[in-house]
Amino acid sequence: MIVEQALLAAAAALVVLAAAVLYRAVRGPTMQDRVVAVNVLGTNTVVILALLSAALDVPSFLDIALVYALLNFLMAVAISKFTVDRGGVM
Amino acid sequence: MIAPVGYALVAFVVAAAVATALLRDVLAAIILFAAYSLGMALLYTLLLAPDVGLTEAVVGAGVTTVLLLLTIAETVRPTDGGALERPDPRAAVACGALAVVFGLTLPDLPAVGDPDSPVIAYERVTGYYLSQSYAETGVENTVTAVLAAYRGFDTFGEATVVFAAGVAAMVVLRREVLT
Repeated sequence: MIVEQALLAAAAALVVLAAAVLYRAVRGPTMQDRVVAVNVLGTNTVVILALLSAALDVPSFLDIALVYALLNFLMAVAISKFTVDRGGVM
Repeated sequence: MIAPVGYALVAFVVAAAVATALLRDVLAAIILFAAYSLGMALLYTLLLAPDVGLTEAVVGAGVTTVLLLLTIAETVRPTDGGALERPDPRAAVACGALAVVFGLTLPDLPAVGDPDSPVIAYERVTGYYLSQSYAETGVENTVTAVLAAYRGFDTFGEATVVFAAGVAAMVVLRREVLT
């Protein structure tokens, strides 16, 4: 029981940290800051999902965490490539 | 115990949505929209709708980001003015009013998993699907049985629309590359 509480508390703390990263995504000032910020947010999401999966004992959340990890990489690469050569997303 | 995580997520999603609407640079807005989508998918998962969360993650964070990037590659970004858009007061009032109206409906929603909610309490429809869907369709998940079997034509139409949209996007992108 205490372990679940600790895991949920860690998840809540990570959500609060996500708000701090969101500030960096909004404020910028450069586009690179924003790309890294949204990448950190994605990684944060994966960790939160894994914590929730362990705390609530729902193993299927881990599948979503895996999809996130893949998509997060794709998103960061797409935006990075766009900032380097405009329009070259694919 | 879940509630604090949920409230923190709602605050995060609202902040990301407002930032998406206000940022002047469209590339920054797209990045913020991806962040919004991540939070939203997490919220769906927290509300025990993992399939919706998965769809939101794939469509919102993955496909939409790439499609929007491809779109703004063909447009011009404004360089003048500040980092934030100055919102039109009438539009802001309309959005605020809409948010208030939606917020007023919230207390009438049944809690997650509430056994007295009308969907579950009205036994004739829900009970029929829960008891008969496996015998009639052979699908173990009732939601999947309703989606793929009972309203199969509807889902087929949706799949057609998605397929047509995908083909159209490919055709347009191909033309953009060639010219």
